Amino acid sequence: MKNALVNLVNITKSFGDQMILDDLNLYIRENEFLTLLGPSGCGKTTTLRILGGFETPDKGQVIFDGKDITNLPPNKRNLNTVFQKYALFTHMTIAENIAFGLKIKNKSKTYIDDKIKYALKLVNLDGYENRMPDSLSGGQQQRIAIARAIVNEPKLLLLDEPLGALDLKLRQDMQYELIRLKNELGITFIYVTHDQEEALTMSDTIVVMNQGYIQQIGTPENIYNEPENAFVADFIGDSNIIGATMIQDRLVEILGARFACVDEGFGTNKPVDVVIRPEDVELVAPEEGTIQGTVTHLIFKGVHYEMEVEANGYEWLVQSTRMCPVGTHVGIKVDPFNIQIMNKPESEDEEAVGVNE
Amino acid sequence: MNKKMLSAPFLFWSALFIIIPLCMVFYYGLTDKNGAFTLENVMAIATPEHSKALWEALKLSVISTIICLLLAYPLAMILCNLNVNQNSFIIMIFVLPMWMNFLLRTLAWQTLLEKTGVINSVLGFFHLPTLNIINTPSAIVLGMVYNFLPFMVLPLYNVLVKIDRNVINAARDLGANELQTFMKIIFPLSLPGMFSGITMVFVPALTTFVISKMLGGSKILLIGNIIEQEFTQTGNWNLGSGLSIVLMLFIIFNMVISTVTDKDGEVNAL
Amino acid sequence: MMRNAARKIYIFLIFIFLYAPIIALIVLSFNASRTRAKWGGFTLKWYGELFQNKVILQALWNTLAIALLSALIATVIGTIACISMQGMKRRNRTILMGITNIPMLNAEIVTGISLMLLFISLGIKFGFMTILLAHITFNIPYVILSVMPRMKQLNPSTYEAALDLGASHMQAFFKVVFPDILPGILSGSLMAFTMSLDDFIITHFTKGPGIDTLSTKIYTEVKKGIKPEMYALSSLIFITVLILLILVNCTPKTEPKKEITERSKNSSKKWIAAVVCVILCIVAVFGFSTFKSNQSNEVYVFNWGEYIDPEVLVMFEEETGIKVIYDEYETNEIMYPKVEAGTSAYDVICPSDYMIQKMIENDLLQELDFDNMPNAVANIGAQYYEQSAAFDPGNKYCVPYCWGTVGILYNKTMVEEPVDSWSILWDEKYANNILMQDSVRDAFMVGLKLNGFSMNTLNENELQIAKEALIKQKPLVQAYVVDQVRDKMIGGEAALGVIYSGEAIYTQQENADLEYVIPKEGTNVWIDGWVVPKNAPNKKNAEIFIDYMCREDIALMNFEYITYSTPNEAARALIEDEEIRNSSIAFPDLSQYQNLETFNYLGEDGDELYNSLWKEAMSY
Repeated sequence: MKNALVNLVNITKSFGDQMILDDLNLYIRENEFLTLLGPSGCGKTTTLRILGGFETPDKGQVIFDGKDITNLPPNKRNLNTVFQKYALFTHMTIAENIAFGLKIKNKSKTYIDDKIKYALKLVNLDGYENRMPDSLSGGQQQRIAIARAIVNEPKLLLLDEPLGALDLKLRQDMQYELIRLKNELGITFIYVTHDQEEALTMSDTIVVMNQGYIQQIGTPENIYNEPENAFVADFIGDSNIIGATMIQDRLVEILGARFACVDEGFGTNKPVDVVIRPEDVELVAPEEGTIQGTVTHLIFKGVHYEMEVEANGYEWLVQSTRMCPVGTHVGIKVDPFNIQIMNKPESEDEEAVGVNE
Repeated sequence: MNKKMLSAPFLFWSALFIIIPLCMVFYYGLTDKNGAFTLENVMAIATPEHSKALWEALKLSVISTIICLLLAYPLAMILCNLNVNQNSFIIMIFVLPMWMNFLLRTLAWQTLLEKTGVINSVLGFFHLPTLNIINTPSAIVLGMVYNFLPFMVLPLYNVLVKIDRNVINAARDLGANELQTFMKIIFPLSLPGMFSGITMVFVPALTTFVISKMLGGSKILLIGNIIEQEFTQTGNWNLGSGLSIVLMLFIIFNMVISTVTDKDGEVNAL
Repeated sequence: MMRNAARKIYIFLIFIFLYAPIIALIVLSFNASRTRAKWGGFTLKWYGELFQNKVILQALWNTLAIALLSALIATVIGTIACISMQGMKRRNRTILMGITNIPMLNAEIVTGISLMLLFISLGIKFGFMTILLAHITFNIPYVILSVMPRMKQLNPSTYEAALDLGASHMQAFFKVVFPDILPGILSGSLMAFTMSLDDFIITHFTKGPGIDTLSTKIYTEVKKGIKPEMYALSSLIFITVLILLILVNCTPKTEPKKEITERSKNSSKKWIAAVVCVILCIVAVFGFSTFKSNQSNEVYVFNWGEYIDPEVLVMFEEETGIKVIYDEYETNEIMYPKVEAGTSAYDVICPSDYMIQKMIENDLLQELDFDNMPNAVANIGAQYYEQSAAFDPGNKYCVPYCWGTVGILYNKTMVEEPVDSWSILWDEKYANNILMQDSVRDAFMVGLKLNGFSMNTLNENELQIAKEALIKQKPLVQAYVVDQVRDKMIGGEAALGVIYSGEAIYTQQENADLEYVIPKEGTNVWIDGWVVPKNAPNKKNAEIFIDYMCREDIALMNFEYITYSTPNEAARALIEDEEIRNSSIAFPDLSQYQNLETFNYLGEDGDELYNSLWKEAMSY
């Protein structure tokens, strides 16, 4: 909290009778790459727009660099946004687009020219000064949008699904490009996406959101390996989420079989959810497994095989480098460290309630 | 299906009812009563009564166009910000008056503006000074603005509503205040709609003869009145056509501008 | 908050501006008084009379039929054109779009004139067809410009996908492409329909005898004062459309939330469908009740606006079985070219003295057979035939219908001194309170008589002096109008007006403060008479019609309706009100006045001279 650049305090926002954000609290450290991740309608874009100054929260404060900027108009904020679908000014050349913010600030001509050159170089588009935005490809337009934002030397760059409109290969290239840029510029990025892979690849911190509540905050590893609830587990990566009973500390009964685990403090004979990542499911000889089942599907995925195993009435998703043909009788074994136990929500609402408090 | 064949009806129609008639106007305009070639009918624009009428028409139509633009621009911007999902609803509001006949609507202004008319009765009731603009150029301008305002609002609305909100947000984000955002982003992006609106107001205003007759008390002859008289009363079609050719020069000028600025012809669509 | 309030006020003001005239018209439709200038109390009678008024219903039918047909045909041609343009080279497409834009960007007056010239040179008879062709022409661009953007948004693969799935070209188009561009087609055709409905200028130039749309009907009526039934009709149309709009925009709110785009698409579809339904209903109801075609036995009458009791026409049709096709004009000068051009064949026309002379000289009329018209011989006073012999030597061509003088109508409450001279129209005290006639000969008559010249002069000096006088008078004149003098004087809009004596009687009935005088410098004594043009297709019927007009009871009906002095002595004897029968306005003793004249035809050069001087005066 000490070196927090941005602090969102008790932010509430609704449109009409639809609650978008409910009492949201979040801080962002300087020089952090923070990603807001969630399905559409989860409130991530609204959070970003509140930061950018395009929406005013109904309640709560936005503290930026120690000052309350809740009611400051966007043009007075020392931060910039890269918009979804770029929002380039189609009636201006690339150079004019990039120079826009600097001209507004009455910077000298030489300064502006230098900045344009620098920014274009940074995004690998030198020589594009006099082109019109329409003549550029999507990826190029995206990089111009980034260049246009960073020449203003903002302390904080907001990116609203900037790669959403690009194709897969380009998207992966741009992910590296963004990481490189962030490292070179040393500014704070807040990144909004619904693509979990993008979030895992680039972020220092991921904030998973759903229905206006923060579900979990953590490093990518943390989020992936220790999801705090079924929503996070389901949203991040593939997983087997199975209803189970916590027999006692460090022992859980899954589908009628008892598995050792490492979690404590859930009580005894409590219904819980367990998450087991497909790559953590080990297929062994039937007699070695905790439970037994039959392989029903098999797909080759390049780095591994993906299989479905029918065992005790549940289709287990399994990823393994070792192939077991369809019909093979197998045993299933899971390392205790790889069994993640979560509280079972008692209602739909509770599922969405914030867990960061 | 041969697509080329499909254009045949339209081509035929355009040739017969657009191109040939225009050629006939040129034929009549460039010949005298005996069918001999002459430039006299076109040059007749230089005579004092014709050039005065043209000048008056130009003056009033330019003023009307400017007023329309000044009224329509803020209106179109407000309408865009209304967040009315129903685009068609807004358009219908402006098209709706057209279902009341154009002549009746203009005539109604006579009723409203007359010395003892509705507006003056209301003003008189509040002991306010009366409004004496009926049968003056001001009344003609009012009639033009009234009748042609929708043709300015709709194209402007159509371009403004298409501007991505995020483009405006981006400008604000990059430090532009509201005025700067308007001057540097919204205004330049709305130019095609503006030109289209200007054409659609200026041309009918320049050539009207009904409004000047009904609201101007026939005291001010516009070029449209002169042409109409030549055709329906004096019976000098050659002169009427000659003056129409002059009028068309202005319109061609306008056409060039609007094709340059509006490549897709989309904003014209109401 | 301030800003929001300001915005709302601004929108509100614009709406007042847009809808104030419409509200005024709706209010007028409930006005019991026939004139627009006076509020005579609330009434619904015009709505009742509207449905009795065949002329207006016929005009409505024409308007709707033309609007519907032209929108339909334009939609088909325009949509096909859009499809064909998709596959074209860029250059060809630009040319075609350029052509499309011509009627949009060209002045309506030029489009109207060019089409008129085309129809004349092709020898097409002006009528329903010519209007329809003209409307289709200016409607096509609206369709193209509204379908084209939809067409561009279309993903070409969908058409190919349909082919791939086994559809024929036709099926692929109608099942895949057509539904996608349908919103564009619908809004285009609705736009076309509206534009056609609202058009006046192009119709004005391309219409023929006996056919009127609401626009042209109104234009003719404007000069004379709009019939209140017209306000009622327009109000009905407007309210119907308004209610539809409100209904269509309210219904989606009760439905469960859908995608926004889909909702608006749906509602506009529904909206258009609803409009089309209502129009079809109106057309069906009115169309079949009014459109009784009886081609064989008819008579084409071309008369001044409001110059006959409509009831008379109904009676004539019932008694003789001859269908009357009735058309109106505002001035002799407007009537003449239409007859001369020969594209409009009329059987009976009612021009004024000098115009009759002109038509005789230019060989446009045929001699009448007075044996077929016993009433015309028996009932018309001999002195009127004597008078008309001045322009119709031997009384071969014309049967007098109305006569009168031109004088000054003034408002006793606004003019103090006695009025006996034209010179009062040059008195600066009455600046902006004077109404002048908006026609060449009448205006010059005033200017010439003021200076003691003959109103038939061809002397250039005298005419120049008269022109200077008119120019000098111009700043004092409130407006140049034709028959609107009547309404304006009744409403107290002006103190003095130049008016035909026939209107004076009516205005006095409506406003007792008005007084009519024949100035001492002399004035115009005019006669309007029935004539039959050379190219009349039904001369027999024309004579039956003229004779019918001369029957005393019919002439009386007409006199009472139009209040213009009748030359029909038998009819005059039947007037019950003694005051009117002996009125010095309706039947003045002409021997009391000096310098009375009747207009002569001045020849083509004379006309041109008058016209050019008039143009100079008016554009000064």
